Amino acid sequence: MGVYILRRMIAAVLLLLIVTAATFVVFFLVPRLAGATPDDLASRYVGRTASPQVIHQIAINLGFTDPMWVQYGRFVKGLVLGAEYSTGPTTVHCPAPCLGYSFLTQNPVLPDLLDRLPVTMSLAAGGALIWLLAGVLTGVVSALRRGSVFDRAAMGVALAGVSLPIFFTGLLALSVFSYWLGITAPGGSYTPINDNPLRWAYDLLLPWITLAFLYAAAYARLTRAGMLDTMGEDFIRTARAKGLPEHTVVLKHGLRAALTPILTIFGLDLGLLLGGAILTESTYSLPGIGKYSVDAVVNNDLPKVLGVVLVGSIFIIVANLVVDLLYAVVDPRVRH
Amino acid sequence: MGATYDARVSGPERDGTAIQGRSLWQIAWERLKRDKVALGGGIAVVTLMLVAIFAPVIVAVLGHPPLEFHYDKVDPDLQVPRGHFGGISPDFLFGAEPVNGRDVFSRVVYGSRISLLIAFLATLLSVLLGTVLGVITGYFGGWVDTLISRTMDVFLAFPLLLFAIALAGVVPDRAFGLTGDALRIALLVFIIGFFNWPYIGRIIRGQALSLREREFIDAARSLGAGSPRILFAEMLPNLAAPILVYSTLLIPTNILFEAALSFLGVGVRPPTPTWGGMLSDATHWFQIAPNFMLFPGLAIFLTVLAFNLFGDGLRDALDPRSR
Amino acid sequence: MRTNRRAAALAALTVFMLAGCGGPGPAGANSGTSGGIHNPSDARGGTLRYANSGDWDSLDPADTYYAYSWNFARLYGRSLVMFKPAPGALGATLVPDLAESLGHPSEDAKTWTYTLRPGVKFEDGTPVTSRDVKYAVERSLDKATFPNGPTYFNDVLDLQGYTSPYADPDSDKLGLKAIETPDDRTIVFHLRKAFSGFDYLAQTPATMPVPRAKDTGSKYRAHVFSTGPYLFQTNELGKRFTMVRNPQWDPATDPHRRPLPDRITVDLNVNADDIDDRLLSGDLDVSVEGSGIGPSAQGRVLGYQGRRANTDSASVARLWFTALNADVAPLDNIHCRKAVLYAADRAGYQRAYGGPTGGEIATNMLPPVIPGAQRFDLYPSPKHMGDIAMAKTELAQCGAPNGFTTGISYRAERPKEKATAEALQQSLARAGIKLEIKPYPLADYLRLYAGKPDFAKANNLGLIVYGWGADWPDGYGFLSQLVDSRVIRSTGGNTNLGVRDPAADQMLDQALVTTDPVARQQIWVSIDRRVMEDAFALPGVWAKGLLYRPPNLTNVFISDGFQMYDYLALGTERR
Repeated sequence: MGVYILRRMIAAVLLLLIVTAATFVVFFLVPRLAGATPDDLASRYVGRTASPQVIHQIAINLGFTDPMWVQYGRFVKGLVLGAEYSTGPTTVHCPAPCLGYSFLTQNPVLPDLLDRLPVTMSLAAGGALIWLLAGVLTGVVSALRRGSVFDRAAMGVALAGVSLPIFFTGLLALSVFSYWLGITAPGGSYTPINDNPLRWAYDLLLPWITLAFLYAAAYARLTRAGMLDTMGEDFIRTARAKGLPEHTVVLKHGLRAALTPILTIFGLDLGLLLGGAILTESTYSLPGIGKYSVDAVVNNDLPKVLGVVLVGSIFIIVANLVVDLLYAVVDPRVRH
Repeated sequence: MGATYDARVSGPERDGTAIQGRSLWQIAWERLKRDKVALGGGIAVVTLMLVAIFAPVIVAVLGHPPLEFHYDKVDPDLQVPRGHFGGISPDFLFGAEPVNGRDVFSRVVYGSRISLLIAFLATLLSVLLGTVLGVITGYFGGWVDTLISRTMDVFLAFPLLLFAIALAGVVPDRAFGLTGDALRIALLVFIIGFFNWPYIGRIIRGQALSLREREFIDAARSLGAGSPRILFAEMLPNLAAPILVYSTLLIPTNILFEAALSFLGVGVRPPTPTWGGMLSDATHWFQIAPNFMLFPGLAIFLTVLAFNLFGDGLRDALDPRSR
Repeated sequence: MRTNRRAAALAALTVFMLAGCGGPGPAGANSGTSGGIHNPSDARGGTLRYANSGDWDSLDPADTYYAYSWNFARLYGRSLVMFKPAPGALGATLVPDLAESLGHPSEDAKTWTYTLRPGVKFEDGTPVTSRDVKYAVERSLDKATFPNGPTYFNDVLDLQGYTSPYADPDSDKLGLKAIETPDDRTIVFHLRKAFSGFDYLAQTPATMPVPRAKDTGSKYRAHVFSTGPYLFQTNELGKRFTMVRNPQWDPATDPHRRPLPDRITVDLNVNADDIDDRLLSGDLDVSVEGSGIGPSAQGRVLGYQGRRANTDSASVARLWFTALNADVAPLDNIHCRKAVLYAADRAGYQRAYGGPTGGEIATNMLPPVIPGAQRFDLYPSPKHMGDIAMAKTELAQCGAPNGFTTGISYRAERPKEKATAEALQQSLARAGIKLEIKPYPLADYLRLYAGKPDFAKANNLGLIVYGWGADWPDGYGFLSQLVDSRVIRSTGGNTNLGVRDPAADQMLDQALVTTDPVARQQIWVSIDRRVMEDAFALPGVWAKGLLYRPPNLTNVFISDGFQMYDYLALGTERR
C-alpha cells in the first residue's frame, strides 16, 4: 500500500513538472509569435520614460535574453529555493516557493494567489455542497420513482440545466434577483468569512445557486443512470431476497455502488473548479483566481500565468490522487 | 418469447424465406422512432442546421443585413433601442442592438453558423484523434497504453480555457493560406478539437479494452489477420455506436465552449456576430435592453438542448441494456 | 474609462515657463461646471464609500499619474501648494497647503523658495521638516523604483548627475544639491532654466513629505505615512483600503480643508457596471475615477426626471480620436487620409461614446476647455455624417478610386472603442474603404502593439483608436505628446501614433519661447490647424463625463483643477 502511494505521488510530481513545462513553453512562445522581443517584454516592467539602454539592461537582469530552457530552469529553481529580482537599485527577495514576480503589479505572484484563493474556495466549496446534495438526492429519487411525474420533471429541469451556459444563467439571475427584485447581493460583492459569516453567505448565495444548478443537473442525470444500472444488478436482488428492508437495500447497497463513479467525477470537478471558476467569477465579478488568471493570460503576464496554472494543476492532480487512493483503499485489485 | 417461438414454428422452416435478423442499427432506429422527445430533439437539430445553412435567405426575407447600422432605431440620447422590450417589431423580430441599432434577429441567425460550424468541425477533429488514439491504446496495451494514457492525463490536467484564451490571442493575420474570419475559425476548431480529444479517447479506450477480449477478435487473429486489419475491419465497426453517441454528446459541449470563448472576447473578431460575443456585449445593457441578452442566450440554450435530447435518445436507443 | 493623463516632462515644463504666475486661464468656456455647491453641509460623521473599477497605479505619492489619484491624495498628504477645493474657476487656482504661501521666485525665476507652516506633523506625531519634503522629491526622481509618476522634477531641477536617494552616498540621503534646506521650515529649489510656473510642480504629490525612517521604497505604498486629515487604517493591496481620521492633523494649520466623514472606504477592481449600479442603488457614494457613469446607467438615469437632477456634466480636457498612421500604405498619401476624414460619420462616432452626453462632436484636436482653443472644421459634411462624394474625389487623387483595405485597432477592454471601430467600419465602407477590426489588450496597447511603429506597420494598423487628456488644461500639455514627431520611439510606448510634420515640430519649439500668452495660444491653434490639414488624425468627440451624485452626498461640486468631483470637500448624510 505504501509503495502504491509513493508511486502515485512520484507520478503526480512528474505530471506537475510536465504541465508547468508545457505551460512555460506555450506562454513563452506566445508573445514571441506575436513579434515581441526580450526588450519589449522588459519594457513592460519599467516606466515609459526609460531609455533603450536601461530597458536592455533590465532585459538581461531579468533573464529574458537567456534561452528558454534556462529560463524554465530558473523558474523551477525559484520554486524550490526562492529567487531574487532586481531592476536596478532595488532588489526584491521572493521566498520559496517562488512562483514568480509580476512587475506589472509589483507583487510576487504567490501571495496574490493565496489572497484570492479563499474566494474561489468559498465559491467552489459552497457550490459543491449544494450540488452534491441536490444532484444526488434528485437522481436517487428519480431513479426510485422512475417514470413518475417527479422523475420526468426533474430530468427535464436537469436537461435544461446542462444546456444553459453559466454566464447566461448568471446574468439572468443577476438581473432578476439582484436588480429587479433586489433580494440578493449585486455583482462584485464578496465579504471574507472571518469578517462576517452571514454576509459572506449572502454575497455568495446567487453565485452558489447558479454554479450548483449547472452541476446538480449533471449529477442528477448521472446518479439516476447509475442507480438504475445498479438497482438492476444481481446483488440487489440478493439483498432483497435476504429480506433486508427496502431503504437498506437502496441506500446501503444500491447507492453506495452507484456513488463510486460519481465521487470520481466529483473529485475531478472540484479540482477543476478550485483551479479557477473562470466563467462564474467573470459573470459575478468575484475577485478569485479565475478572474486573476484571465487577466494574466490576456495581458501575457507569464509569471502570473505560470503561478495560476501550477496552483490549478496541483488541485486537479491532488484530486485525482485522492480519488485513486480512495479506490485503492476500497478495491484491492487496484493496488497491483 | 412467444414471438420467437412462433417464428420458429411459422417462420422460414415452414415458408422457406430467410430470417430477417435485425441489426443493432435497425433496432436502434425502431427505438428512436418511438422516443418522441428524442425525435423532437432530432428535428430541432435538423431545423437548426437548415437555419444555419440558409441563413442568408432567411435574413434576406425576415430581417436586415447583420452588419448594417440603423441609427433611427436607437434613441440618440440614451443609446437604447426605441420601443418596447428593445424595439421588437415586425421589422426587427428580436429588436435592435443598443448604440448602433443592428438587427438582433439577423445576428442571432448568422451566429448559428459560427457556433454550429466550429462545434461540428471541432467535434470531428476530437473524434478522429480520440478514436484513433483510443483504439490503438486499448488494443495494443502495454507501453503504448501507458504512454498515451499518461498523455491523456496531462491534457486533462490542463486549464483548457486559459490555453484557449492565450492561443486565440496570438494569431497572425495570415497563416496556412487563410485570413480573417476563416483563419480564426480554423484556429478555434483546432484549439477546441485538439484539447477535447481525451474525452473521446478515454471512452473509446475503455470500449476497445473490453472488445479485444472478445472471441471474434481471437477468431480473426487465428485466421491470420494482421493488427491493422483487425483494427479497421473488426473493432471500428463495433465502436461505431459509442463513437456516434459520444460525438453527438460532444457537440453541445463544444457549442458551449465556443460561446464561452466568444464571451471572454477571444473568439471570432467583431463585427462578425457570435452568440457568446453578443452575450458579452449585452452584459453592459441587460438592465435596459433585455432583448440583447435574452435572444442569444436562448439561442445557445435551445441549440444545446436539442443536441442533448437527441444525443440522449440516441444513446438509449443504441444501448442494448436500456429498457 | 479612466482619466488618463500622461504628458511629456518637457512639454509641461514649457507650459509653466510661459504660463506666468497663476493658473491656467479661468475655466470660462468650460461648459457644464456646476456653478455652486450641491447639498452644502458642515455636518461631520459617517463613512464615505468609494470604488475603483481598476486599481491605483500607486498610492505612493511619488509614483502616481492619474487625475483622480492626485485629487484623492490630498486626503492623506499635503503638498507645498494645491488646487483650491472650491467650485468653478476658483478650483483651478493654486493655494498654499504645506507652505505658508505660494512660492517666492528669484529675479530670474531659476530659484524658488517656500516656507513651511509650523505645527504640521506626520501621523505618528513626528514634526514635518523641510528635509522630509526634500527627501520626498528626491525619491520621486528614481524612475526605476517609481516608474509611474511624472518626470517634471527630473527635467526641471539642476540635478548634476543625482539619480536616487537609494544610491545616495550622503549619510542622510539628502545629497541633491538642487534642493536646499537651510532650516527646518525653509526649502529652496534650484532650476536649470527659468521656469515661472514652478508652483504647478509644487502642487504635484511628489512634494508630499515622506519620513526617511519609514521609507521602504517600492513597499511604501502599502502604508503611506499621512500628513493629511486621514490616515490609512487598512490596506489590502488590489482589494480595498480604509482610512480614518488622523488625530495628528491639526485644523489650525490647514485653512483649506474641512474633512467631514469619519471614515473612508475604497473598494478596488470592482466591475464598472457594478459600480454604476451601486451608485444608483445607494450602496456606493463615489466612483473614484471620476470619468462618469457608463451607457447602461446613463440610460437609466437620464430617462427619469428625479434622477436626472442628480447628474453633472463635466467637460474634460480630453479628446477621443482615431490616429491615421502614415506609416501604413496607402495612408502615406495625404489624399487617402483626407478621404477617411471626409467619409467618416462623426455623428456615429459620437454615438459610440454615448451620444451628446458622452461628448461634443470634435472637428479639430484642441478640446474647447483649453484656453484659447478654437473650433473649426476643415472637412465639413451635412450633419457631420460624412461626405462620400468628397471622399471619392480624394480617393481618386491618391490612386485608389475604388477604396482600399486597412486595419483598425482598439483597446479590447473598452466597449466604446469597439463601438467606434464598428461604426467607422460601417461609415467608411460607403466610400469603399474596408476596415479589418483588430482588438489588442489595454495594458500593452501602446507598448507592444499600436504604439510600437514596427508592429503597427507589420500588422497594417492604418487606423488606431485612442484618446488623450491633458495633464493640465493647457495647449502644450495637450498637443506635444500627440504631434511632436521627435518623441516617437522605435521601442514602443508612443502616444504619437503617426504624426510626422517638421512644420508642426517647429511651431511647438516656437511656442516654447513665446512669452505672451495670447500669442502662444494662437500658436496652439495653428498647430491644431496644421495637423488637421495634414490629415493625421480623425477627431471623434471632446469628452464629457456624466457624473452621478447619490442624494446622500453633501458638499458636491466639480473641481476645475481635476474636472471631476472634488474629493476634499465631500461628506455624507448616511450615518
